[in-house]
Amino acid sequence: MVMKQPDDRSHFLLPDLGEGVTEAELISWKVSPGDMVKEHQTLAEMETDKALVEVPSPWSGTIKELNGNVGDIILVGSALVTYDIGDAAPESVAAEVIDVAAREDAGTVVGSVSEALSVPPGFHRKPETPTASPTDDRSLATPSVRRIARDLNVDIDVVSGTGRGGRVTASDIQSHVEGPAAITPISSPAQEEIAIATRVAQPIEGISERIPFRGVRRKIAEALQHSLRTAAHFSVNEEADITDLEKRRKGLETLLGRRISPLPFVLAAVCKALRTHPRMNCTVDDFVEEIQIRSIVNLGCAVDTDHGLMVPVVKNADALGLVQLADRVSELAKECRDRTIDREDLSGGTFTVSSVGNCGGMFTTPIINYPEVGILGVGRAREQVLTKDGAFYAGFVLPMSLSCDHRVVDGAEAARFLTTIKGLLEAPEHILPTV
Amino acid sequence: MPVDCAFEIAIERVSILDEHGVFDESLAQGLIPDDDVVKLYRHMSMCRHFDEIAFKLQRSGRMGTYPENRGQEATSLGAAYALEDKDWMVTCYRENAGLFWRGVDPEKILLHWMGDERGNNISVRATPLAIPIGTQMLHAVGLGWASKYRGEDGIACTFFGDGATSEGDFHEAMNFAANLDLPVVFVCQNNSWAISTPTAINCSAPTLAQRGLAYGMHCVQVDGNDLFAMVKVIRDAATRARTESRPTFIEAITYRLGDHTTADDARRYRDQDVVDEWSARDPMIRLRKWLEQRDLWDEGREQALRTENEIYVKGVVERAGGIEPPTTDDMFAWMYSEIPPVLDLQRRTLRTSSLGQGIDGSGS
Repeated sequence: MVMKQPDDRSHFLLPDLGEGVTEAELISWKVSPGDMVKEHQTLAEMETDKALVEVPSPWSGTIKELNGNVGDIILVGSALVTYDIGDAAPESVAAEVIDVAAREDAGTVVGSVSEALSVPPGFHRKPETPTASPTDDRSLATPSVRRIARDLNVDIDVVSGTGRGGRVTASDIQSHVEGPAAITPISSPAQEEIAIATRVAQPIEGISERIPFRGVRRKIAEALQHSLRTAAHFSVNEEADITDLEKRRKGLETLLGRRISPLPFVLAAVCKALRTHPRMNCTVDDFVEEIQIRSIVNLGCAVDTDHGLMVPVVKNADALGLVQLADRVSELAKECRDRTIDREDLSGGTFTVSSVGNCGGMFTTPIINYPEVGILGVGRAREQVLTKDGAFYAGFVLPMSLSCDHRVVDGAEAARFLTTIKGLLEAPEHILPTV
Repeated sequence: MPVDCAFEIAIERVSILDEHGVFDESLAQGLIPDDDVVKLYRHMSMCRHFDEIAFKLQRSGRMGTYPENRGQEATSLGAAYALEDKDWMVTCYRENAGLFWRGVDPEKILLHWMGDERGNNISVRATPLAIPIGTQMLHAVGLGWASKYRGEDGIACTFFGDGATSEGDFHEAMNFAANLDLPVVFVCQNNSWAISTPTAINCSAPTLAQRGLAYGMHCVQVDGNDLFAMVKVIRDAATRARTESRPTFIEAITYRLGDHTTADDARRYRDQDVVDEWSARDPMIRLRKWLEQRDLWDEGREQALRTENEIYVKGVVERAGGIEPPTTDDMFAWMYSEIPPVLDLQRRTLRTSSLGQGIDGSGS
């Protein structure tokens, strides 16, 4: 749309840079205050939801003020640049105070905007109606911020946004990477304002550390809450006698000359079992109310990292042999810990295995990685006295806990599935590599 | 009878002046007088500058959306040069060069993109820019049909992109034109991109030209960045339309050097390497070299032309920007030759609080 500019050419109001664009992010300034600019000369580089564009000056003149900092989201219709028009400059311009709604909005955009942005009378921005928070797990962010995140290998969906409507801003990415201490002073007053505004309970004494409920931790919390709210959880527990498997595993380790943990054996057993229990290998689309039986097995594998739990996905896991599974899992786990993991590898799972074995514990009540319908928690294998045909013997047992979404999977089905896994682990011919 | 060949044909590709400066003297024989080549080059250069300024007008909020024409000037200009005044030029939105050559005031195109309907008030035989993809091809068929019906020898020449050939309207237009023997020239500007969809996804056949074969139409492919070749194929097609009342389908291979429109960012979906390759095939580069080799052009004239273009386009922008606001009567004045009662009622009650209602509250 054509943007009506002030007749005295004192301000250049940011126009719609595309079709129906309402805001744009300031990428860089191409001029400085005091510069003489010509008509059509580029003032700034800005990025809309669709395009990175150069914004030219609509007339010749001298730049007085640049209203905004790099990374700021500038609303269409607000004054981008102030021109020096000499004595004719309207006195009221500099003193103009933005109304409360606009100020709050500016605060969430990025701190300094509200201070720098002064608009002449008649060019007030409309109070911003709060954007509904996204219902899916994708973060809101402009393409440029997404690019920054990509460049820094940050999964943008785990960064909590402080921008308008929960948008992730460039400084959010920065603070995510550098930690809370690195928040630039310029934006902290604005963030403090928000914090005060949303605080519901005053803390009591005896707090040794305050950890912002942010980043991966908050993302995990949101995902788990969503799963618990949506899926009807129930769990089945079982133990597998892996005495024989352990012997064979040790044998395989000797043969290959490297360590192979019990986990890949469990994964291989799960893959096999999913093939005979397709109902366990599905996802639920609650929006269209559909249970989607999956033809592929993409196995999520929970990984404990310094920055929280992550669930990388082994794509087409049932096509991989045991050793390949082992390699792929350790590769993905390393990428998670190094934060180099590709976003593609963090989604698209059809079933998840969560191993807490090396930390101890027996049974768990794992929470389903929604929209999947099942998750297998694997405890620590322990040596135990077992019986067989009326005789005692010492063997290894592996505790397993299966949680399912009862909306999709019934108890008997879950038990049968778990029994299949148990059977495969106890008679491991079918999951061992053919050497 | 064994398996036999039912039909076989080759699609010709016409090139006269290629990007390496190779020039086919025999095909160019008597095609364009040297003086006119100079005029056409000057015109192209003006259009290129107009294009740059129009783009910036959008970015500084003085105009709505704008589709850059950069790199495709030769296609419509070659056609406009080869057509006659009595012929209709039925364009989409990347044919500024041809429209201006025919006499459409550049100011009108700016007004159009500023959302001012007066930009569509065109006094030469050209239809207003068609933004919806493919609608205008049917209009061209109608105009060609009308011309034939009236026993006139004017023809219709329509322009559309590669993406439009996947629209139903295209096939309807082609079918009608071929089966009714209508004097229509279909010019597909294959600029490689239907917004962000590459031609290869849009059409599985090796050429778009062969889409015309299905309708029994004469089909030809041409280097759309070659002004000479464009003039030749359009002239041949126009003769075929005028003397035999048969349509032609022309696939002009060109390239959209800019974004689809100002609302697009082509860097997101295409490689700069390919754009660079096509920049070297820019129709203006080879034409300037051709002129310089014949001492018809030099750097001095180029500099003077640039200044001239700047002054001229500045004037165009000032005229378009300085136009008085349109009156509300304009909304009613142009759609019908005789205004229907319901619209007349709206016109009369426009300034009252009861728009479209009579004094008694009746009306729509």
